[in-house]
Amino acid sequence: MVNEGPTEKKHVKALVIGAGPAGLCGAIAIAESIGDGKQILVVDEGIVPGGQLPKQTHKFFGHEGFYASVRGFEIGEKLVSKATDLGVQFSMQTTVAGIYEDSIVTYDRNNNSVDEYTADYLLIATGASERFLVFRNNTLPGVYGAGAVQTLMNQYKVMPGESFLIVGAGNIGLIVAYQLLQAGANVKAIVEASSKIGGYMVHANKIMRLGVPIMLNHTIVSALGEERVQGAIVARVDEHFKPIPGTEKEFVVDTICLAVGLQPSVELVAQTGAEIKYISELGGYVPIRDENMKTTADNVYIAGDLSGIEEASTAMIEGYIAGYNIAQKITGQDLSEKISTMKDELIEFRKGPFASKVREGLKKMNILFPSGGYRERTQQSTGPNGKLRAVIECPQAIPCNPCETSCPTGAINVGKNINSIPYVDYDKCIGCGVCVMKCPGLAIFLLQEKEDYSIVGIPYEFLPIPENGTIVKLFDKDGRYVADGQIDKVSVNRKEKTHLVFLRVPKGMENIVRHFDLAINSEEYVCRCEEVSRQDVEKVIDSGITDYEEIRRILRIGMGPCGGKTCRNVVLQIIAEKTKIPISESKLGAFRPPVIPLPIDAIVKSRKGVDKDE
Amino acid sequence: MSDVNGTYDVCIIGGGITGTALAYSLCKLGETSVAVFEKSYLSSGSTGRCGGGIRQQWSTKNNVRLAMRSVKLFENFEEDVGMDIEYYQGGYLMLSYDEEEAEQFEKNVEIQREEGLDVEILTPKQVSERYPYINTQDLIVATFCQTDGHANPHKAVIGYAQAAKRMGADIYTHTEVLGVDVENGKVVGIQTTRGYFKCNVVVNASGPWSRQVAELAGVELPTESYRHQIFVTEPLENFFPMMAISFAGNFYMRQAHHGQFIMGQGDKDEKPGINYNVTFKFEKELAEKMVGIFPFLKNLRIMRHWSGMYNMSPDAQPIIGQSDKVKGYFYAVGYSGHGFMVAPAVSEALSELIVFGKTLHTDVSYLNVDRFSNEDVEKEKNVV
Amino acid sequence: MGRLVEHPILNVKVSGAAEHMVFYFEDQPIFALPSDTIASALIASGIDIFGFTEHEHARGFFCAIGKCSSCLVEVDGVPNVRACITPVREGISVRRQIGRGKPKW
Repeated sequence: MVNEGPTEKKHVKALVIGAGPAGLCGAIAIAESIGDGKQILVVDEGIVPGGQLPKQTHKFFGHEGFYASVRGFEIGEKLVSKATDLGVQFSMQTTVAGIYEDSIVTYDRNNNSVDEYTADYLLIATGASERFLVFRNNTLPGVYGAGAVQTLMNQYKVMPGESFLIVGAGNIGLIVAYQLLQAGANVKAIVEASSKIGGYMVHANKIMRLGVPIMLNHTIVSALGEERVQGAIVARVDEHFKPIPGTEKEFVVDTICLAVGLQPSVELVAQTGAEIKYISELGGYVPIRDENMKTTADNVYIAGDLSGIEEASTAMIEGYIAGYNIAQKITGQDLSEKISTMKDELIEFRKGPFASKVREGLKKMNILFPSGGYRERTQQSTGPNGKLRAVIECPQAIPCNPCETSCPTGAINVGKNINSIPYVDYDKCIGCGVCVMKCPGLAIFLLQEKEDYSIVGIPYEFLPIPENGTIVKLFDKDGRYVADGQIDKVSVNRKEKTHLVFLRVPKGMENIVRHFDLAINSEEYVCRCEEVSRQDVEKVIDSGITDYEEIRRILRIGMGPCGGKTCRNVVLQIIAEKTKIPISESKLGAFRPPVIPLPIDAIVKSRKGVDKDE
Repeated sequence: MSDVNGTYDVCIIGGGITGTALAYSLCKLGETSVAVFEKSYLSSGSTGRCGGGIRQQWSTKNNVRLAMRSVKLFENFEEDVGMDIEYYQGGYLMLSYDEEEAEQFEKNVEIQREEGLDVEILTPKQVSERYPYINTQDLIVATFCQTDGHANPHKAVIGYAQAAKRMGADIYTHTEVLGVDVENGKVVGIQTTRGYFKCNVVVNASGPWSRQVAELAGVELPTESYRHQIFVTEPLENFFPMMAISFAGNFYMRQAHHGQFIMGQGDKDEKPGINYNVTFKFEKELAEKMVGIFPFLKNLRIMRHWSGMYNMSPDAQPIIGQSDKVKGYFYAVGYSGHGFMVAPAVSEALSELIVFGKTLHTDVSYLNVDRFSNEDVEKEKNVV
Repeated sequence: MGRLVEHPILNVKVSGAAEHMVFYFEDQPIFALPSDTIASALIASGIDIFGFTEHEHARGFFCAIGKCSSCLVEVDGVPNVRACITPVREGISVRRQIGRGKPKW
C-alpha cells in the first residue's frame, strides 16, 4: 500500500529560509565568497523576494552602503538582482513546512507540491510576525494587521477601506498611516497606549502635519459593527494600560489597522534543536546565538528580525555576517576581514538611543554593544534671514546620514558616528534642496524670507502635483490650519518621486508652515442643496461681487429646498472675512416665503376645505 | 541529604493518566496520604501525546475484561470525577486486509461476545453502505463495537488530578524524582528536585521512563520505549464518529471533538530510545495510505505532527504489580501504546492492591512481571 | 474599498482589459486581474465578509499571508481554502465558508 522506496532528497550547500533583507544579504555574501550561487537556495513564501521590502514605499534610513534614501521596494529589487546575478537560486511561494529529523520539507503552494532537502548549512531569516491585540469584536472583517494592509495596498494595489483607525504609534503604525494617506485614504487617528510615540519622530511628524492626531495613552476598546467594522471606540488608559471608564470616544471608520509590534518567527529554528530563550527586549522568544550569528545548533545561523526585532539595515548587516561565516566554513578561506568590517557597521548602527533595547537584550546573551559618542543636541540656529537655506527638523539621534552625503557643497555635517543629529553650515548651504528630496524622514525644509512674504520649500509625495500660483491652505507641524498661501513653484522629481514644493507663506510663518492642502482636494460645501463650495464663493467675491443677493443670483446659493437656512450665514461670514466688513454692516437680503417647501396637494386640499366651508 | 519535606503513605512517580488516576482511586478508598511527582507538566509524557482511543476489542479474555471495566469507569467519568472529557462512544471500526488476521478477528469476536461485549462483523459491502466515505478496496472483513470510543486524554488527566487534590492528594509538577531510598528491602522515601519525601509505597507510573525509574530502586523491568508519531489535520464538520483502525494496514484514525482528524501508524524500523523528533517519512507514508482509504482527506491540510513513546513490554501488554524484591515498590508500566484506555481499571486495581493487598473489581495478576519467566506467554495480537 | 487608480509612488496602471478574468462568488460574477488572490479580488469588488464561524461570527481577510484561519472560503466545493494566498483562476466558484466546512468525497 505504501511506497517504501527511498525518496529523492535534493541537496544544497546552503539553504536560506526567508528572502527578506537578512536572507538576501546572507545569500549574496555566501555566493560572492564561494563563487557559485547555484549551490545556494533561498526559499520564501512571498510572491516576489524581498520579504517586507516590496510593500514599503518609503525611503529607508541608514547610510548609502545599505541603501539609505532608497525606497523599500527598490532596495528589494536591488538585492534580488544582485543575488540573481551571482546565480543564487530562488524558490518563491514556497514555505519551509518543517525541519524534520530526516529532511527539510518545503511546500510550493503554486504547484501544490512538496520537496525534501538536505543542506550543509542553514541560514534562517524567517523574520517576524505581527502581534495581535485583544479587544471587543476584534475578529470583525475590517480589523486587519498592518502587514496585511500593506500587502493589499502596496502589492495588490487594493484598498481595504476608506477611513482608518490605526492602533500603535511605533514605526510600522506611523509608516502605514503615511502610506494610507498617500493612497488617498482618510486616517482618522492613531491611538497609542503608551505615553510616548514609539517610532521615529520624523515619521510621526510626516503624518501629524497632515492633520492625523496621535492619541497617546489611548487604546482601542471595541470595534463596532455587526458583520463588518463600522466604527471603533477608543478610551484613555491608566498607568497599567487599563481603559478608564467614561473616557470613551467613538470614531466612524471602516477599517481598524493593528500595528502593535512584532515577534520573532522562531518556529523553524526551534525545530533544528537550537536553544530558544525569552528576551522581551528582543521581541519575545529568540534563538540564542553568538556574535557570528551562529545558533547553538550545528551549522545553523540566523539573521534579521528572527534574532531580535530591529530594522532593515541591521538585518542586512547580520545577513552578511552570517553569510560570510557560512562561506568561510564552506570554502575554508579566511573572511575575517569582511566579517569584522560588518561587525563594525553593526556597532555603528547600534550606538543610538533607539538601539538601547536591542543592546539590553543582546547583553543577556553576553553580546555587548557600546552606546553613545554622537551629537544629541539639535541645531538652534535656523540660519541667516533672507538667504534660501535648509533647516533640518531631525530631533532624535537615529542612524542616518543621506543629508550629509547628498549635499553637493558639504554644508551638512553628521560625522563618523551616523547617529549624530545633523548640523547645517549656513555659509556653505546654497539652498539647492537636494537634501530635502533625499531625507528619508522628509524632515528637511527650505526657508527664505522675502520682502512681502516668505518661501517655505517642503518635500511632497502626494498627488496631484500642484500647479504654480494655486491658492492653498497652510498647516503647521501638527496639522492645524494657520493661513492661506500660494504655490510659488514646484520642482518635480519624477525619478525619486519626492517633489519639492515652494510655498509663499505670510511673513513670519516660515518656521510654522510645514504642510499645505489644495483646496480642491477637500471641498468644503457652503450650500449643500446646490453643491456650492467655499472656493466658488471666494472666487466670486475675489471678482468684486460682494453683495449677498448678487452672489446668490450668480451661484444659486439659497435657492435650493433649504431656503438658505444652512448657507446664508456661512456666506455672510465669508463675505465678512474677505471684505473685512462686519456682517452687521452688510445689507440685509430678502427672506422670501415659504420658509419651508410647501406641498401643492396640501395647498389644493386646503383650497377645497375653504370651498366646503363656503 | 536535604531536610524531609513531607511524609506520604504513597508517592507516585509520573503525572500521566496512570499516576493521576491512581491518586484519585487511592483517595476514593480513603488513602489520601498520596503525592504525585511529575518532572514536567501533567500529561506531558505519553498520555498527552496519544490518540485518545478507548476500545474493548482485544484478543484475550483478560484484556477484554480489563478494557470493559475501564469503559464502565469512562462512562461514569463526568459524574464520578467531575469533568467533561469529551468522552464519546462512537465505536471502533477494525478493518482487516489480511486473510489470516481476518480469521483471527472472527475468533476474537467469539471471545469478546463470551465476555458480553456487543460486536458486529461487517462485510466490505456493509462497511461501504454504512460509511460511504471509506474506500473498501482490498478490505476482507471489519468488526465494529459501538461502545468503544474516544476521549480527550489531557482533560482526563486534569480531571483526575483535580479530583484527587480535592480529596487531599498533593500534586507536584516540575518536580523530578532523582532517587528512591530502599532500606532493608523496603521503600522508605524518595529524593526529588524539591527535596526528600518519606513514604511507604512508591509507584512507578513513569511511562516512557519506566525502566530508568525502576533502576532508581534497583528494580529491573523488561520495558523499552519506542517512538510513535501522530499528526492532526485541520477540522471539518463532524461526520466521522468512530475510531478506524487496522493492524495489518497499520493505521488508526479518528475525528476529534473539534473536527480535526488525528491519525497514526507504527514503524517497525523504529529503534528503541526516547526521541521526540518527527520524520517527514511518516507524513508521506501515512498521508498516502490514508488518502487511499479515506479519499476525503485529500482536501485537508496537516496542522500539527508530534511524537510520543510507546513503553513496550515483551508481550505488548502492561506490566502491573508489586516488586517481589523491593517491598512497597509498585509499577504500572509497559502499556505498549494502550495505557490511556485501560488506566482507569488498572489504577482501580492497583489502588486496591496497595490498600487491601488484593484486587476487588478486575484481576490483574496475569499482568505481573513474573509472567515473563514462564515460557507460555499469551501475546496480545490487537496492537498497531 | 476598491482598486487604487493613482498613486504618488507606485505604478498602479493595469494593462488592457483583455487580461481580466471572471470567477464567481456566491454565484455572482467577480472581475479579477491575473495577479489577484481571491481575497484581493473580492475586496477590490467591495466584498470583505468571506464567511461565518460555527458561532455565526463574520470573518474576513486578516493576516494576508496564509497564517491565520480568518479568510477560509469554499472553492468549487472544497472548504478551508485560504483566500488571501490562493490565486484567482478563471471560472472558479467561491462561496462563504460557514463553520468548519463540509467534507467532499
